[in-house]
Amino acid sequence: MRFLIVDDSTTMRRIIINTLNKVGYQDCAEASNGREGIERLAAAGADMVITDWNMPEMSGIEFIRAIRANATTKDLPVLMVTTNAAKDDIVEALRAGINSYVVKPFTPETIKEKIEAMLAR
Amino acid sequence: MSQITKEMLSILIASTQEVFETMVFRPLGSQTPIEGEALRPRSNVVGTVAFAGEHCGVVAFYSTTETARTIAGAMLGIPAAQVNGEMPDAIGEITNMIAGTFRTRMAAHGCPWAISVPTVTIGSDFYTKYVSDVRRILCPFTMSEGEEVFVELILTKN
Repeated sequence: MRFLIVDDSTTMRRIIINTLNKVGYQDCAEASNGREGIERLAAAGADMVITDWNMPEMSGIEFIRAIRANATTKDLPVLMVTTNAAKDDIVEALRAGINSYVVKPFTPETIKEKIEAMLAR
Repeated sequence: MSQITKEMLSILIASTQEVFETMVFRPLGSQTPIEGEALRPRSNVVGTVAFAGEHCGVVAFYSTTETARTIAGAMLGIPAAQVNGEMPDAIGEITNMIAGTFRTRMAAHGCPWAISVPTVTIGSDFYTKYVSDVRRILCPFTMSEGEEVFVELILTKN
């Protein structure tokens, strides 16, 4: 199971990778914004994307729209991890095409549950 | 005129404690908040996130450089001695999560805000001055090893 972690914060990418390792997922690639994320997906693919919302160059929302607009990646599971947790934020992210949503701060158990629920669908 | 209410403060304190417990794996003990500018923390690292909406202001995080390294190391899962360039980004993320959690909980109380990206200042012998007429309340916290960190809520009197 290969993950692509997209976040402009190196700290947050490391935290997410450490969390995935803890819950049993070892294969993780990284990108620092949506544009880089698209390049990584085109070059190496992924089984699931975990993305932040607020990023330079291409935001998480623009990145998800680009994923859904591409025939190769349109069905890729996408989990958004962000501090944007107001009701309107979640509605906007769902409309853009996310499959699930985790609000920072999070526990490894929350990430594990969300991933397992997405895989079960 | 915007007031810093007891409810606002308790939400900020709870948000800070939750972020530390979940992402830094260190519980924070809360001390009595201090109003005004009389006491300024002697800090070398300051993270700030501004917000605007029903209220306008800033959430600021203060610590010493040494404590900031300890926090960054705990977040990244590496010893504090190995932390170098990662520290500003880690403190930016901590400040972002504190302000983001605070924002979400305030929105549930009918106060919708937008927040900025975090800014981190590192140095010595500097003082943060806000141009607008503001109210400031400083919340001191103690980490498990005795290190102090501070979170300040600054609200414009609009």
